[in-house]
Amino acid sequence: MYSSVNSGGLCGLMCYIASVEVDVQRSLPAFEMVGRLLSEVKEARERVKVSLKNCGIELPPIRITVNISPADIVKSGTAFDLPIAVGIMNALGLVTDESIEDMLIIGELGLNGDVKAVNGVLPILIKAKESGLRRCMVPADNLKEASFVSGIEIIPVEDVGKVMHLLQGGEEICGIYADNNGICTDGSKLPSTKDDFADIIGQEACIRAATIAAAGFHHMLMVGPPGAGKTMIAKRIPSIMPPMDEKESVEVSTIYSVSGLLNKDRPYITNRPFYSPHHTATTVSLTGGGAYPRPGIMSLCHRGVLFLDELPEFNRESIEALREPLEAREIRVTRSRTSYVYPADFMLVAAANPCPCGYYPDRNLCNCTEPMIARYRSRISGPIKDRIDIITYISRLDADRVVGAPKLKGKGAADSRRKGSDEISRQVAGAYERQRIRYENTGIRYNSEIPSGSIEKYCGLGSDEREYMKEIYDPMNLTARAYHKILKVARTIADLEGCEDIGVAHLREAVCYRG
Amino acid sequence: MSIENELIRRDIGHTKEGDKDYPRRLKCLSDRPKELYYIGKLPADDIPSIAIIGARNCSGYGRQMAREFAIELATAGIQIISGMARGVDGIAGRAALMAGGSSYAVLGSGVDVCYPRENAELYEELMSKGGVISELAPGYPAMAANFPRRNRIISGLADAVLVIEARERSGTLITVNMALEQGREVYALPGRITDSLSYGCNRLISEGAVPALRPYELTEQIISRFGNKEIKTAKENGQDKDNMRYLNADHDKSFMTVNEREVLGVLDYRPKTASEIFYELSARVDIRIEELLCLLTDMTVKHMIECIDGANYCLRG
Repeated sequence: MYSSVNSGGLCGLMCYIASVEVDVQRSLPAFEMVGRLLSEVKEARERVKVSLKNCGIELPPIRITVNISPADIVKSGTAFDLPIAVGIMNALGLVTDESIEDMLIIGELGLNGDVKAVNGVLPILIKAKESGLRRCMVPADNLKEASFVSGIEIIPVEDVGKVMHLLQGGEEICGIYADNNGICTDGSKLPSTKDDFADIIGQEACIRAATIAAAGFHHMLMVGPPGAGKTMIAKRIPSIMPPMDEKESVEVSTIYSVSGLLNKDRPYITNRPFYSPHHTATTVSLTGGGAYPRPGIMSLCHRGVLFLDELPEFNRESIEALREPLEAREIRVTRSRTSYVYPADFMLVAAANPCPCGYYPDRNLCNCTEPMIARYRSRISGPIKDRIDIITYISRLDADRVVGAPKLKGKGAADSRRKGSDEISRQVAGAYERQRIRYENTGIRYNSEIPSGSIEKYCGLGSDEREYMKEIYDPMNLTARAYHKILKVARTIADLEGCEDIGVAHLREAVCYRG
Repeated sequence: MSIENELIRRDIGHTKEGDKDYPRRLKCLSDRPKELYYIGKLPADDIPSIAIIGARNCSGYGRQMAREFAIELATAGIQIISGMARGVDGIAGRAALMAGGSSYAVLGSGVDVCYPRENAELYEELMSKGGVISELAPGYPAMAANFPRRNRIISGLADAVLVIEARERSGTLITVNMALEQGREVYALPGRITDSLSYGCNRLISEGAVPALRPYELTEQIISRFGNKEIKTAKENGQDKDNMRYLNADHDKSFMTVNEREVLGVLDYRPKTASEIFYELSARVDIRIEELLCLLTDMTVKHMIECIDGANYCLRG
């Protein structure tokens, strides 16, 4: 007897719809599986046999042959357990063909018959919907994640026995149709980030730089001594970026789903991710890859912020690995037979000490020699530096600002005017909106993405502005590249201020971030 | 080919103890070098000379002062001796040449070896407008072990030594000790007692060194003690105005905006970030951080302030 069940698998971030074919024939008992299967897929044999037995489905002496097609893709993961079990039921005639028609089945089995959660439910369901399947049987633990896919019937299941009961028509199948706006209904339940820019004492210039960086998705470098607040500022950047739209949420959630980072408490990603890997992180953990390729940290912070504290301390290979995502906004893990593409469109926020001891250029504290400083700085290579549009300097705070001085007349006026994340994010949202309108249908989304060929078009200067740039070009030791960076940053500042044209004031400020 | 010919071919001068051109100032030293190699000239015996020495990793203050003193002294015709090292030495040498004076460097390597490399330009200029001097044979590589010995020649060739900046334990102080043994006058630039780079100088002053308070004063002192009548101070040349630029005398404050004046008031020679300036300024004037950043750019372009290492600001000389 032959049976075919629809299922789905993951290959990098790409999904495919697989058909699990099962054939049974009276013979000496045997269980064969083919279709380029990795060991965890082949081990389904024992899980399926035992779990069926423990749910009261005794297998007669038969030879079972399973093929998972397309047979040329390497199959990995444990999601094929349940479709194999259902395939056997169908081949033995326990459930009808009609009951599994147009249905996608995924799930891992335990020996007691339980159906366990699997990774990648979200992208597989999206693929199933695109392929025209109407129903999906998913592990009950994946229900929340699955319910973000609308327009497809979702049947949550808990164990194999109930699956058979359900398919035999012993109970009416009442699938769940997700409402169209799962994100909004569930997203609000997620705890919002508590971090707020209002918590930061001083460092106004850095906060301003962070605001501009977030508004134009510019990569940013903060230079300053240890303990000045670089990490605090970086952590708060996602709080001022506008929320992700639905498409972005799906992209990010897909990456998390494939990485197995979604669970019942966090079934979907709506907040922009923030990752801060330690400088001892291996290159592969950052880029993704490995023997069985999976997304790395650079992909996990897709559409969010990647914070690399102490950037020069990262090993050279890891720093150079930033080149590809900074250039192409994705990471390609190439294997001899196939290559995997992981999106990695993040905003890089890096922090570095100005010199090995951290106090340069205050020579009364820093006694690092010039060659030492040059060597330290050369660890961030030119191509990486070229991609960083904004460099800002952060300083140690005086004791009376940290501890709190008695309020003298006028003193501390700066502290009382601190801007909170709410206020800043409103400004940033305005800048995003301006960019969205300006770049509609151009493939560009943010000012930082303007290719050098289009700078003239989007960052055009009036005659006064041109005159001004000519005037400062030599005194400020500008180069062509620095000039382009200044124009892009000035464009973002103009957007923040709600100006259509770049003015001299915007250029004057942008010059400060050239580093 | 004989060594003599090879030296002549490469324009390297050579003098030994007892020769007519052997520097007079070195003759009385107990550990005088047996021979000297030089490219360019040797310092003239009858013109006063001063060694300007100090920390390699000097602060902005040290940099400005080394420049000010070197320019003033060199303009008056005083010869500037230094070690062409990074920091104070190189700055003083460069400033002296820029002012049209003469400057000499004593190297810790052979005279044909330029160390450190970043002073290559200065090295070339010294060869044509002053001289590079060494007791080591040409081709001798720069080795740290030779530097302290080289220092005795620096002080030896000078009538006086001016110390710009030195930490508590500093190679500069070794030179000062040698200068004292050689009976040279020691001048030291005073600084704040909280600045570690001024510790050495302040300590020297407490031990009897003469504080160098004004470049023109120092110039007068040097000339009156060591000079002959051909040398005239700036004052005698008819410039009695104190032209020290670090007093911001050349900034006509009436052209400045209120905010520019306030920014100058907040700045000193310690580089400060925009955030620090903003904090101190916000107590005095009502300004937004964006406005301050624009203002700092303008003032940098107008050369009213100096921008170090990207976006750290301090006063300029």
